[in-house]
Amino acid sequence: MIDQSAARALHPLEVKIILTFDAGALIDSARVRETLGFKEGQDQQAFSWLVAKGVLEEADRQTEVFYELTPLGQEWHDKGTPARRIFSLLREAGPLSLPDIAQKLGLDQKTVGSAFGALSKEGVCAVDASRCAVIVRPELPQSVVDTEALLGAASMQGGSLPEGALSPQQKALMAQIAKKRGAQDAPFRIAERARVLFRLTPRVVEYREAVVALGMTGEELGAITPEMLEKGTWKQGSFRPYNLQIPPARVIPGRRNAYVEFLDSVKDKLVSLGFEEFDGNLVETEFWNSDALFMPQFHSARDIHDVYYIEEPTHAKFIEEPYLSQVVAAHEHGGDTGSRGWQYQFDRDFTRRLILRSQGTVLSARQLPKAKVPGKYFGIVRCFRYDRVDATHLSDFYQTEGIVLGENVNLRTLLGFLEMFAVEVAGAKEVKYVPGYFPFTEPSIEVHIKHPVLGWFELGGSGIFRPEVTRSLGVDVPVLAWGIGIDRMALMALGLNDLRELFSADLESVRMRRSQYKIQ
Amino acid sequence: MPKIEVNERFFFDLAGKTWTDKESFEQDLTVAKAELDEWNTTLPADGERTIKIELNDTNRPDLWSTAGLARQLRIYRTGKIPSYPFFASRKKHVKAPYRVVVDASVREVRPWLAGFVARGKAISDALLRDMIQTQEKLAWNFGRKRKSVSIGIYRVGLIEWPVHYRGVDPDSVSFVPLQDTRKMTLNQILEQHPKGIEYASILMGKPIHPLLTDAAGRVLSYPPIINSADLGAVQVGDTDIFIEVTGSDYPSVALSCAIMACDFADMGFDIENVEVNYEYDTPFGSSVTCPYYFQEEVSVSLADAGRLLGVPLEISATLKALNRMGLCAYSTDGALIHVAPPEYRNDFLHAFDIVEDIMIGMGMETFAPQRPTDFTIGRLTPIERFSRRAKSIMVGLGYQEMVYNYLGSGKDYAEKMRISPKELVKIANPMTENYEYVRNSPLPGLMQTESVSAKASYPHRTFEVGKVALKAPETNYGIVTRQYIGFLTSHAQADYNEIASHVAALMYFLGKDYSVREAFDPRFVPGRQVEVVVKGAKIGVFGEVHPAVLEAFGIVMPCAAGELDLDMLLDD
Repeated sequence: MIDQSAARALHPLEVKIILTFDAGALIDSARVRETLGFKEGQDQQAFSWLVAKGVLEEADRQTEVFYELTPLGQEWHDKGTPARRIFSLLREAGPLSLPDIAQKLGLDQKTVGSAFGALSKEGVCAVDASRCAVIVRPELPQSVVDTEALLGAASMQGGSLPEGALSPQQKALMAQIAKKRGAQDAPFRIAERARVLFRLTPRVVEYREAVVALGMTGEELGAITPEMLEKGTWKQGSFRPYNLQIPPARVIPGRRNAYVEFLDSVKDKLVSLGFEEFDGNLVETEFWNSDALFMPQFHSARDIHDVYYIEEPTHAKFIEEPYLSQVVAAHEHGGDTGSRGWQYQFDRDFTRRLILRSQGTVLSARQLPKAKVPGKYFGIVRCFRYDRVDATHLSDFYQTEGIVLGENVNLRTLLGFLEMFAVEVAGAKEVKYVPGYFPFTEPSIEVHIKHPVLGWFELGGSGIFRPEVTRSLGVDVPVLAWGIGIDRMALMALGLNDLRELFSADLESVRMRRSQYKIQ
Repeated sequence: MPKIEVNERFFFDLAGKTWTDKESFEQDLTVAKAELDEWNTTLPADGERTIKIELNDTNRPDLWSTAGLARQLRIYRTGKIPSYPFFASRKKHVKAPYRVVVDASVREVRPWLAGFVARGKAISDALLRDMIQTQEKLAWNFGRKRKSVSIGIYRVGLIEWPVHYRGVDPDSVSFVPLQDTRKMTLNQILEQHPKGIEYASILMGKPIHPLLTDAAGRVLSYPPIINSADLGAVQVGDTDIFIEVTGSDYPSVALSCAIMACDFADMGFDIENVEVNYEYDTPFGSSVTCPYYFQEEVSVSLADAGRLLGVPLEISATLKALNRMGLCAYSTDGALIHVAPPEYRNDFLHAFDIVEDIMIGMGMETFAPQRPTDFTIGRLTPIERFSRRAKSIMVGLGYQEMVYNYLGSGKDYAEKMRISPKELVKIANPMTENYEYVRNSPLPGLMQTESVSAKASYPHRTFEVGKVALKAPETNYGIVTRQYIGFLTSHAQADYNEIASHVAALMYFLGKDYSVREAFDPRFVPGRQVEVVVKGAKIGVFGEVHPAVLEAFGIVMPCAAGELDLDMLLDD
């Protein structure tokens, strides 16, 4: 029994065969073309589909030889064979040397040579005393006339002659001028084609029952064409159902990068929480990168092997005042920040040294002199680290950092922000806070979260900027400073486990990448 | 951040508590900002298990030893502050049985010295290893790789007192250093001995080098490089040892000496003082008895601390919290809290540094997170908003957004792109030549994609919006950062006309009028490239990528590409 969906999926060509022929009938291309008006190619398609369904089986197979017109044969047909063209030229222009003939006819010498050789052999042409070709019998040889007849017949029949349609004489001639391989310099190519005879199996009866039950005729409409719509012909027919289970062809759309989109979603989230974005230079000074953050110039994190130095130019021309003087005072003896300072001689040359920004906190420091109170600022910015590149370290990467200024911000509001980030940005269910250490904050807090997938991990570091930092940069209110690490979440969202993959150059993997990230 | 290894039994004994589960151990470590790095669950055959711990506070070198870390946990739990009566101070004179004489000649090279003698107990294997670790952590992390602090340890019995610390001509003295058998001059040690080579830069070019000898003139050590093999070797079983600290920064030297003395005292040694006589003045007079308490009292107002922590503070609870942190704190008026830093700490630069100790002393659970109440308006930067518009147009044109690293090689950024490396910002101290330059264009990244993606179905249309660094000698830094968009199309028919159409569409929808004029950029085919001009200024270039560039990247598919300065386009 054939179910309805299988029957509905039949192509109109199949339906027509099923409705027309009975079990045991023998059919071939010629017969279905004749009976059902199939076009070339349609018969083969229908046969292969029906064989796959077991409706047809191969009954007999014969190999048939065809002679196909080559591009050269088509040219001979259009312009005349070389022999005819030489003959005509000599008749009109009189005796000519072979090179002259070749030049006038635009043929190569070899072609002219062999055609002239054949004409000489038949006694139609000869070479005279001045070594010129002349006509000696004003009548073309029969072989030339017969060849032209074959070219004409082939051209009439779509460029191909079945061997069976040729007379013995024509077959003999064809044997001389057709080639099986290397046929580019012959007028005909010998091709062999299988002629297959199919027998309908008893399954055709089952299919026919189903087809009839569904009222299918094989005349259903295929693709909807503008013509159909213009003329309204679709009104007369029904639509052929398509096989809806076929996997669709792949398209490659223009797309945003999944990692950048992830970063953007975090930016959007922070904006929604009232944060204003900041941005800045890739190249910075030691001053803004560390000195302004009250990291002593002798601090172990400030060694030559912790930041990248610029080769040329080496130093900024100046550092903005009054910030330079105020920061120097804070380092040396505390200035008016209430600190005793680091008690050393500040190096004013070193502070101008140009480096690649190593922490996003630079931008927080730069924001302080121009920040509003109350104010919230953030940036997701590229930073550079002197690290050997591997699955967990990159030489440049994004850091997410920000500050909050306000008359009344304090440790508890800092924890409030951290909780907000943990829940809103990271989707954490549990949050815990532990004392941390950063040279520029006091107190300092690390926030750890329990992520639904990653488990407990450190989401970020934070604290309240030391007065040595804020006062030197002209701020008199407390400033909360925070940084969150979102790369682990990014890797998870993108199904990756190697940081280098975030910046992958491989087009196919970037095209296929998609974010599983759901921001709250 | 320093990492230390502690012997488990040794550590638990000193801390006065045995931890069995990881979670509570980790929780207890947070009061010292310490993190458990490695703690094997299986006990080795000899029963001696090692715990690896990372210390986050670079301003608390007292925590970088078994005894120091254990002390902080012990005090936090018990509230009992240990006493170290052997410290001398401005107010308290202590008689010293040993003496070191510091000669004026050492003043210019490495002026400060502190030391003490620990006795009364034999040094075990675990203790020896711990002692060496503490010495290294103090000298390396806190002492800036021996520049401001280095430490030597000796057997007291071998020394003829007093010890002399003086400056000498590095060619005039020779001795047999540790880890060698040859007698070498100081200069030979710097050139040939592994430690000499490692630390030579500290003394490089100095005419006079520091040297420690005993009263008989025998060399104890050559600070900060190496001890002598004769007097400067300490072994398991030794009982009486002399520890000295030299350096360039007095507070660091005094603090390192104090930390080691407190550690030895905690481990059950008797500490005996060493008097250091200088031929010049120090901040504490010309004769200083070590260990010396040099720290000064700090104070913070209860109100300020409460404001910063977001809770009203009560005086007795606050003093108790400080006490748990090991700080002797008192208040005379109930409003101002005075703190005398412990002998082993010198990290109170500002009154606010006390506040963190109050916080930890009270416990994080005391402070409930509070939602912020200040209203502020969030917004993206103008360049970010503008970039996002450009990106959505590029996506509509069928382009895939890419993102690349900003550091790369001269080969990729300059040579293959047919430009001079002089146009690029170069790193003076690259780690490898693969990351030696900052990019000046997004195009090398896009070319890199083509070079590795020949198997991805064509057409390829890619773009990136990101920063580039450009040389700009007239500016303060000589280098400016710009936001660029780079774009590339690659397929068999990719050509100038296609990229020109895409630029036209981009500029139309960004609302920018532009004109083009022929460009002469070596990255593109001559006669098939233009500069994009907006209000008379060049803001970008596009054209057919030069086959020599394609060949250098191993690309066999035609490419047309371009780049625009979005910052300039936004400002126009």
